[in-house]
Amino acid sequence: MNKTILKSAFGILLLTGLLIIPRFVESPYALHMMILLFLSVAQGQSWNILGGYAGQHSVGHAAYFGVGAYTTMMLMHSKNIVPWVGVWAGIAAVIVVALIIGSICFRLRGPYFVLASIAVAEIMRLSAINLTTLTNGAEGILATELPAFKLGATVVTDFVTKVPFYYIGLFLVLLTIGVTYWVQHSKLGYFFQAIREDQDAAHSLGINIALYKNIALVISAVLTSLAGSFYGIYVGFVDPPTVLGLDVSVQIMLICIIGGMGTLWGPVLGSLILVPLSEALRSNMVTDLLVKIGIVNADSKVGIFLKENLSHAHVLLYGILVVLVILFMPDGLMGFVKKLALRRKREAV
Amino acid sequence: MAVFLQSLISGILIGGVYALIGIGLTLIFGVMRVINFAHGDILMVGMYLTYMIFTLLGIDPFVSVLITFPLMFLFGGFLQKVFINRVLDALAQNQILLTIGLGLIMSNTVMLIFTSDYKILSTSYSSATIKVGGGVSVSTPLLISFLITAAITAALYWFLLKTDTGQAIRATAQDRDAAQLMGINVKRMSIIAFGLGSALAGTAGALISPTYYIFPQVGSVFTLKAFVITVLGGMGSVVGATLGGVLIGITESMSAVYISSGWKDVVVFVLFLLVLLFKPSGLMGKSRT
Repeated sequence: MNKTILKSAFGILLLTGLLIIPRFVESPYALHMMILLFLSVAQGQSWNILGGYAGQHSVGHAAYFGVGAYTTMMLMHSKNIVPWVGVWAGIAAVIVVALIIGSICFRLRGPYFVLASIAVAEIMRLSAINLTTLTNGAEGILATELPAFKLGATVVTDFVTKVPFYYIGLFLVLLTIGVTYWVQHSKLGYFFQAIREDQDAAHSLGINIALYKNIALVISAVLTSLAGSFYGIYVGFVDPPTVLGLDVSVQIMLICIIGGMGTLWGPVLGSLILVPLSEALRSNMVTDLLVKIGIVNADSKVGIFLKENLSHAHVLLYGILVVLVILFMPDGLMGFVKKLALRRKREAV
Repeated sequence: MAVFLQSLISGILIGGVYALIGIGLTLIFGVMRVINFAHGDILMVGMYLTYMIFTLLGIDPFVSVLITFPLMFLFGGFLQKVFINRVLDALAQNQILLTIGLGLIMSNTVMLIFTSDYKILSTSYSSATIKVGGGVSVSTPLLISFLITAAITAALYWFLLKTDTGQAIRATAQDRDAAQLMGINVKRMSIIAFGLGSALAGTAGALISPTYYIFPQVGSVFTLKAFVITVLGGMGSVVGATLGGVLIGITESMSAVYISSGWKDVVVFVLFLLVLLFKPSGLMGKSRT
């Protein structure tokens, strides 16, 4: 009882903190970092429902992210349809895509499912490159100016600062965490977890495997497409590699792997680690730090080399992290922490 | 007719190299049951190795295969010993993730060293062709690489069928536990298998380097192709991978001519999905869950 009160008090405090941050923080860079963090949590949380809870490790989530981003951007660019209407079109499109993909890929298991999910995402990427009349091909779609969001005649926001994006991002985070929480505690979630633990046993208990896998996929895909639409309008630019590439799929999955699959807070933890680290590499903070400590001389060959190249190699860090996590904590950080806690409890007894 | 013959021949020639990539992947899967998502990146390392040997020592890429093959064998053995051996009993998705991670490390390390610029290895014969007659001509580097591929594949078949080590590898692939009970050192066979698989991928990289752009991300294209080839042939079947490679080569060059070069990869992936759906065991594979 005490614990739940403590937990909810902490949650309310955190939420209030997050809600009032933009009032005090004016630096666009800090807000940008928070928005990236929100996007990452939303992506991870969406994947988690299918990968973590239902145990279907899709390596093709770029397909849903890209369809959401592209639909919203295409409608805005060529038909002047405002993004908050376009988002719904994106959701509709993604449901259709997810059901098609589901009906093909869910007949397959394990590694074959992984391969099929990659193949489908690649087909989407190549189609986006080749359907030039629709998607503008490899050049991508640029739409920097957003129309103001109006309710009736009053302008709610005109998207000049990053603050409205901050709140949309925060809303996405709350939505995805809420859905995950609901999944975790509903009958649906138990079905998902039964399928994850043992498909055949779940089937023999009368769970319609194909149906529930597809439900998990649709929930996951719709949330991912929302994140994609958000990414599109926030950055103002989409092209095939940045929203449909294999890297995107891997990145989405990594958030959960590093944090811990099938846990409510895993994707949050994973994002808290991945986003700042890769941003630090991207913006050359690591090199600056090494120079400041005096390990590397800024004007020496090594210093110049690091300054020029380390920013391009933030994905290298993802690779190293994955290898370390798989070898030393295969259940992710959450699993690692839980294991430690359990050990301490046992020792105490 | 000339167009048809032309695209058929170039399909078969490039298919030979694809077969090499596929055989490597299928060998690794057969022995370890691990799907190697770093396969294309290993190929990419082979390409850069060839590029370095060519620019630094001036050795022709087709000759430097003699250096690339053993070096890549050692590299693969190292990967197996240090990383893959530790996850042989882990969940399939963890194995997949580990190899994805290794691939990311390889491509990004290469990017750190060589930057992401496209490199071209131009030899005197890079764009040379041989006229066959009837309006059909054959690209010289593709023809040479096909001949080398054929020689390597023949040698590999001989190794797997006739030598003790080859038989031990096949026994391990058939039944790991039984092989171990028969006194086969399965850990060592795994290292040899991963080494061989890497050497084949690296060699394929060396062979295509005169005709292909060399850049750090080139691997992912080939990883996907390698999967299509092995699934088409049947996971774990060396004969299937050989056939699958040639088939994919022909499919690609035909669809580039008769549909459009932009859509040729889509055709390959659709074919892949169809195979997964209707004959998941592949052309030569035994159905196995």
